[in-house]
Amino acid sequence: MLDWVIANLPLIVAIALPIAIPLVLFHLLPLLVLMERRGAGVIQDRSGPHRAAVNLQLKSIPGIFNDAVPGLRLRAFGMIYNVTDLVKGLSKEFFIPPFAYPGWYVIAPAIPVMVGVLTPAVIPWFGDMATSVGTIHGTIFPTANGLLLLFALSSLSVYGVVLGAWSSNSKYSLLGGVRSSAMMISYEVSMGLAVLGLLLIYGSFSLQDAVTWQSTHTWGVFVQPIGFLLFLISLFAETCRNPFDVTEGESEIVGGYHTEYNGIRFMLYMTAEYLHIAVGSVLIATLFLGGYQLLPVPGWDTDWLREHLGKVALALSIVTALLLFGFVKLILGRRTHNAAGHATDREVRVREYGIYAAAFSGLAIGTLALGGLAAATLWHNPVPAAGAFWSPVVLTVTALIQFHIIIAKALVFSWLFVWVRWTLPRFRYDQIMDLGWKVLLNVALVNLLITAVVAKLIKEAW
Amino acid sequence: MLGSLDAIIGPLYFWAFSLVAVCCALGVLTTRHPLHGAVCLIGVLLAMAGLYALLGSPYVAVLQVLVYAGAIMVLMVFVLMVLNQARDDHTPRFDLLSIAGLLLPLGVASVSVNVLAGANALHGPAQGGALEGSVANLAPRLFDTTAAGPGYYLLFELIGVLLLVAIVAAVLLAKRSLAGEPSVTKTEDAAHGH
Repeated sequence: MLDWVIANLPLIVAIALPIAIPLVLFHLLPLLVLMERRGAGVIQDRSGPHRAAVNLQLKSIPGIFNDAVPGLRLRAFGMIYNVTDLVKGLSKEFFIPPFAYPGWYVIAPAIPVMVGVLTPAVIPWFGDMATSVGTIHGTIFPTANGLLLLFALSSLSVYGVVLGAWSSNSKYSLLGGVRSSAMMISYEVSMGLAVLGLLLIYGSFSLQDAVTWQSTHTWGVFVQPIGFLLFLISLFAETCRNPFDVTEGESEIVGGYHTEYNGIRFMLYMTAEYLHIAVGSVLIATLFLGGYQLLPVPGWDTDWLREHLGKVALALSIVTALLLFGFVKLILGRRTHNAAGHATDREVRVREYGIYAAAFSGLAIGTLALGGLAAATLWHNPVPAAGAFWSPVVLTVTALIQFHIIIAKALVFSWLFVWVRWTLPRFRYDQIMDLGWKVLLNVALVNLLITAVVAKLIKEAW
Repeated sequence: MLGSLDAIIGPLYFWAFSLVAVCCALGVLTTRHPLHGAVCLIGVLLAMAGLYALLGSPYVAVLQVLVYAGAIMVLMVFVLMVLNQARDDHTPRFDLLSIAGLLLPLGVASVSVNVLAGANALHGPAQGGALEGSVANLAPRLFDTTAAGPGYYLLFELIGVLLLVAIVAAVLLAKRSLAGEPSVTKTEDAAHGH
């Protein structure tokens, strides 16, 4: 059995990865929603989501719980709201407005979700692993046309919005749909042109090649800073979020394209929005920030990481643990604040924050222990001689670390999405069109021209 | 193991894509709603992209989705939505002229089916040894600017000029004021001012 597994490992990974990656992305969604709500609270100086809670009545444990302090309340920083949202969405009636076109109305919300699940297929999640039984690819669909395929698929997601808007058969929906199709077309142009400069430098459409180039030279953001900005702005427009959310524009056209949607179909649109944020963040991390590469140091490629696996694991675990301890300090601050207050449920609050502090301290210590274990066993791994291969443990740990690196970079950009949404007001429709066609397009063209000339002049030096 | 899988899955995909393409093409012809027709056309284009990929040209397949399904058809749908065309129940599906128009595609189809059947070309996807239609293979040939080269780049440049001419013509048509109607500009500006 084990022999069979080892002999067919590339095939098994090729089958498991398409299941695992969407699962991971879908598990990021509650985190992104939470990030959005807490971020909105922080930026607008509100307390954010803090009511929904899980109440545990644990009076039966003597000595710990008593009648004076009833039970245990866990709010999980607002995470409980995700559960309530899902239950609400799923338990609502599957209502189709009598004036809508039922077929398209039902199908439309699925299209953007489908696109959001398909696009991660071309992103390299970890470096390719050469083993004695064949190469294990870190990409679900390793193709030379990766970036083109990604753009092609994501250009289809607008149909979900347009068909949903049209099939709702209401004025507001139609206005939202018209706006969104015009905006997406406009910004796809500048998005493509922004990336073209980068492609000239990488010399390939393959995202794997893009990451490899960045690990041997430097990150894309340093060679194409203007392209990076253009791409970022276009990405904001493509996800239809503030300041580009004229498609929803609740102060003008009620809810835009999803005015007539409710229940689980409305949630599908929301799922697609956050999926697009997640995938867009991963894409920008891959194209401009070295993908799964740790730091923008030339030569710190996958082989370097494997050689210095123990040291890197230890350093990363220390950084992670420090961040977690910083978070614990914040939690303890809230605990002290509540303990000094006069709320009627003071005891419950203090206990709640105590449990959070304990949990995250445990997580930090666990991370440190894992890092220490990795450092003790994998401190130095010499590069195998020609014809030999890395040990499976080294390969697995490397893949996990690289996967975490790219997810961490993507989360930073997801926070940027939230930050921008709650900071900038919505642009007017004509401002959006002016920005797209009169500013971004021209800057992108000039950037492409300069990049082409420079790349042609110094390409031989690479 | 994977090779034998290809031999089974390849024809399956071929028939699936062909079925979708033909059904959607019939839908384009028979539907009475312009937006239904547009969505059917998108289906045809996507199925064609799948067929291109089966033929060993992933680059063309991806461009088909990117350009036709993802850009041109979005524009078409945009225009249909702006005009908000309703169902057309008045125009008859078939008249004498459309029957006459059927003859030409039927003729082309019969000739190509004859040729293809004679060549026994339905062997499934491209076999090993065939040149894959990738960027790396396509670009050096397309942009071979040497004198001995095929000179495709000249056609490429000419198509670029043609597209530019089309854009200029579209701008000219849209801006009637250039042809000497200043009053139109004034009202247009006033209308766009808010």
